[in-house]
Amino acid sequence: MSNFSALQHEADGLSAGLPPLMVEADHLAASVSLGVHGRRRAGMGESFWQFRRYEHHDSAAAIDWRQSAKSQHIFVREREWEAAQTVWFWRDASANMAFGSGRVSKRQRADLLLLSLASLLVRGGERVGFVGMEGAPASSRLALTRIGRALFARGDSALPPRAPFARGNQLVWFSDFLDPAALEMMTDLSRRGMSGHLVRIVDPAEEDFPYNGRTRFESPVGENDEIFGRAERIRSAYRTRFTAHGERVSDAALKLGWTCTTHRTDHTPQGSLIALHAAIGGV
Amino acid sequence: MLGFLPLSFGAPLILTALLALPVLWWLLRVTPPLPRRTLFPPLRLLRGLQDEEQTPAATPWWLLLLRLLAAALLILALADPLLGRPPQLTAPGPLVLVVDNGWTAAKDWNQRQELIADLLHSARGRAVAIIPTAGAAPTGLLNEGEAARIAKELKPMPWPGDRNAAAAALGRFKFTAAPALYWLSDGIENNSKPLRDALNRYDGALVYAPERLALGLLPVTRDASGFAVTALRAQPGAMQEAEVAAIGRRGETLAATRVRFARGETRARGHIALPMEVRNATARLAVTGEDSAGAVQLLDKGAAQRSAGIVSETSGEGQPLLSDVYYIERALSPYAEISKGTISALLDKNVSVLLLADVAQISGADQQRVKDFVAKGGMLIRFAGDRVTNGTDDLVPVVLRVGGRYLGSAMAWSAPQRLAPFSALSPFNGLEIPNEVTVSRQVLAEPSSEIDNRAWARLSDGTPLITARGEGQGWIVMFHITASPTWSSLPISGLYVDMLKRLMALSAGTPARDLAGLTSLPPVSVLDGFAQATAPGADVAPIPARQFSRTRVSPRHPPGLYGAHEVESALNTVAANDTLTPLQGTLQPYGDTQARALEPYLLAAAMALLLFDALLALWLRGFTPNKLRWIGGAAAFLLLMPQTVNQARADDATAMKAALDTRLAYVKTGLADVDATSEAGLTGLGFALRARTSYEPLEPIGVDPERDDLSFYPLLYWPMDPRAKSLSPRAQSKVADFMRQGGTILFDTRDLSLGAVRGASSPGEQTLRRITSGLDMPRLAPLPSDHVLTKAFYILRDFPGRWTGGRLWVENLPPAPQGNENKNGAPPARGGDGVSPVIIGGNDWAAAWAVDANGRFLSAPSPGGELQREMALRFGINLVIYALTGNYKTDVVHAPALLQRLGNERR
Repeated sequence: MSNFSALQHEADGLSAGLPPLMVEADHLAASVSLGVHGRRRAGMGESFWQFRRYEHHDSAAAIDWRQSAKSQHIFVREREWEAAQTVWFWRDASANMAFGSGRVSKRQRADLLLLSLASLLVRGGERVGFVGMEGAPASSRLALTRIGRALFARGDSALPPRAPFARGNQLVWFSDFLDPAALEMMTDLSRRGMSGHLVRIVDPAEEDFPYNGRTRFESPVGENDEIFGRAERIRSAYRTRFTAHGERVSDAALKLGWTCTTHRTDHTPQGSLIALHAAIGGV
Repeated sequence: MLGFLPLSFGAPLILTALLALPVLWWLLRVTPPLPRRTLFPPLRLLRGLQDEEQTPAATPWWLLLLRLLAAALLILALADPLLGRPPQLTAPGPLVLVVDNGWTAAKDWNQRQELIADLLHSARGRAVAIIPTAGAAPTGLLNEGEAARIAKELKPMPWPGDRNAAAAALGRFKFTAAPALYWLSDGIENNSKPLRDALNRYDGALVYAPERLALGLLPVTRDASGFAVTALRAQPGAMQEAEVAAIGRRGETLAATRVRFARGETRARGHIALPMEVRNATARLAVTGEDSAGAVQLLDKGAAQRSAGIVSETSGEGQPLLSDVYYIERALSPYAEISKGTISALLDKNVSVLLLADVAQISGADQQRVKDFVAKGGMLIRFAGDRVTNGTDDLVPVVLRVGGRYLGSAMAWSAPQRLAPFSALSPFNGLEIPNEVTVSRQVLAEPSSEIDNRAWARLSDGTPLITARGEGQGWIVMFHITASPTWSSLPISGLYVDMLKRLMALSAGTPARDLAGLTSLPPVSVLDGFAQATAPGADVAPIPARQFSRTRVSPRHPPGLYGAHEVESALNTVAANDTLTPLQGTLQPYGDTQARALEPYLLAAAMALLLFDALLALWLRGFTPNKLRWIGGAAAFLLLMPQTVNQARADDATAMKAALDTRLAYVKTGLADVDATSEAGLTGLGFALRARTSYEPLEPIGVDPERDDLSFYPLLYWPMDPRAKSLSPRAQSKVADFMRQGGTILFDTRDLSLGAVRGASSPGEQTLRRITSGLDMPRLAPLPSDHVLTKAFYILRDFPGRWTGGRLWVENLPPAPQGNENKNGAPPARGGDGVSPVIIGGNDWAAAWAVDANGRFLSAPSPGGELQREMALRFGINLVIYALTGNYKTDVVHAPALLQRLGNERR
């Protein structure tokens, strides 16, 4: 019993940030949707199409009783052929993402971008889902809530779990892609017919390396530490490596026909959101 | 040990630890400073990067040097280094110190202590004996540690040393080896023969004496204008100057004079001129810079102090500004000791001046006692008042007429009178009469032939204002006005103080209670060797009263004050015929031969270096002081500073605003809606007052009882709201003072709208109870139908506000005194100001009065509409008039009687 209540307490604590995040994401999406106004709102998400007379092959469950009661005939509600896409999201949940040298951690920024993008897509009628969330992808606010809940669920996996991906589905993957296994996973997914977008979240400290003096660098995920007597001496070597790493990730993505966007957490999220939305809209 | 430096070490073996410094050097080199830690996700990218500084030599050379220096200083400090050579002892045997520590040794006592410390230092390992001449018992042979402890505790004593005892103690010692003998004398020849003889039994005894000998102060004599002082010195040598100061009870210097010893003289005379009241405040006279008990003369306490007793029939405890006693007390307290009570109690206390404020008849037995008191030199000062107008006893300077005369009141024809210049016969002659002093009411003297001689002050039309008559050795003085400013503005002028001061000086000052009444005088406070007053210890014995004048100071009777509280006699170290003579013979001065221990300085330097090292280590690890934070802190400070100043200025501005006009005020609850209603309400009420009455209030002020001064406002409107905060204790006492000193508060619980729900537990009343719980509320009663509030301006039957029907509560008036009732049996108005300090209701008046900026009313009174609003405004006007005029309106009831009395007088 106490275990359960402790778990519930922790869950409450974790999801306490969810409503403000949803609000912030909606704001962000609204500020961006002006820029892509009218692109895909028309017709796509309309489920009702027309009523037609009942025919023999129709199942009884398809009869619209309310409409039928208005006249002598029996009507069937026909739905529009739905051509909406399904966009899956994944965000790296490892401890590396919890790092933040400024006010925002990489994980917070990734969550915000993810939810606002999802919100934008829902407005556009697309189905959205989070890999590993409960329920199927949907184009409603319910799906957004489910994504939010999944974002705040516990777990520290860097890679997306196996999911019922269908051919043609898209994956938007938020991570820092420091784990080489991520690129292998991308190749694997691509082989199964997925296309997708990598969003590389970068903290300014990771890129600029502003450290001086004797410094012990520790890994959030428990790798061995590194000590440098004068950290500023290795700055340029590190920066070269970091840039090379970024290029390696984007090259790998391009090779498979995926796209790669880099977002620095000290930049505003709007710019990256517009770029992402354009990338997905363009597919 | 070191030839070129006068440096020696107490524990030189520790210096070998310096050999370990190279090892320390190596250890420090291989231990790099602690790294700063940081989380870093792309750690993998750092793998294999080489940092050329990542070697054991990471500690920079200057940091190493710093640490080595600190370590070296630490080792040196522990080796107990001494700068300068300690004195060489004269003989190989035990060290014997004879120390003079009588009062004459108190000057430059630390020189002695330094010499003792040096000698003990040189006598490391030998036995030591310390023989003080005063106070502590001589010791046996001690080891080093004990001797150091006893030497530290050695203090000069406030009595003269006893060298006989010291000689006897020295004679009792049996030494196996020749002792090193030192006499640390005070340089005063005071029966030194036996001690010299005892010292001369051994070879090479050294006698030290100070170059500047102690000064003493002989007993002080009082004269007409101050104190005559005589200082005493030992060497009748060259001319010398000293300063003698009069010092008050709290150690403050009141006055000082320089005295000069002429060549060859041992005494120097001087005079300290002091006004009488300052003389009374003097506790002691002392030679400046001497710090010894012999250079101090304590004064008897309570000796010439003039004590005044005040008797008043009216007790004005609650409203000090209306009470007679308050003004007398304020005027006299710097110049006399004041006690209050009944006439007999005060005469028992032996007061020298008796002040009667508005006492018409001194009753029965007291009358004879007061007569005797005056005949024996007492001074009786009487003030007029309402009671005195009905006739007095015969202890007055002139016969008084019944009734009084009014000048410049509403029912008189003449203007208030100023004072005429004082005649040459008057003791007030020479006092300046301020222009603003006027008299509007007084009692009159029956014309007689003596009145010219007896009038000490007159009004400009010639009527006597202050009369006096000599009676026996004393005086009877009559002020024909009250002691408080009700009849005249004299009591709030400086002239009043000056007059009373002159009268005090005129009084003979009856001597304090005779000390002979006490059989023995217990010590009250005693002086220590440095002339500091301390509480007497258990070994101080009381002195039999009869022998007090013959008692000399001794360990059992140290100098100090003896006696009962407030009647204390001083026992002083130096008596009238004491002399001082200097010690003869070969004397060693207390030089600066002492060795200086370097240990504390070295330790401090080492600590400072280590601290600096810690800062450097932090800096090396990357903790640089955040410049932004420094600048931010400084900027915040600079920003806040002027704000506090501005705050103070704003407070002043508010106070000026409130003081220059009589304004309506409400209590700020801190809730914007409630405060806005209060302000709008009082503004609306202000418009109505302006239109209909002669009182024209300016815009209302919101006050915060926590912060603001409430004393400017006659009336406070205080809305109750459950959200309001409770009062802090400080604000509570402020509000209590406000009510006690005549302010009125209208508490509005504002909850009649709740209809049937209201009652004892309505939210407004609960708030009222919460907020006033710490206040001293008077007893309340529902407003009687004939209360002044119902007729102060309009005749009102009920008091609606936004709502109507609530009950109004006011202070319960005391029951009518017997035989003073009106024909109607209505309770009469109370004496004093009679304004109820609280009025409590729940009709939400402010909402009914509230107007917007254009003067339109803001709310709809319910259920009576505009008629009800008119009644609400009338209530408001009544309330303000009531708060401003008090029971003036009840007096109207008595107008016929007053007119009749005036008519009688004129006839």
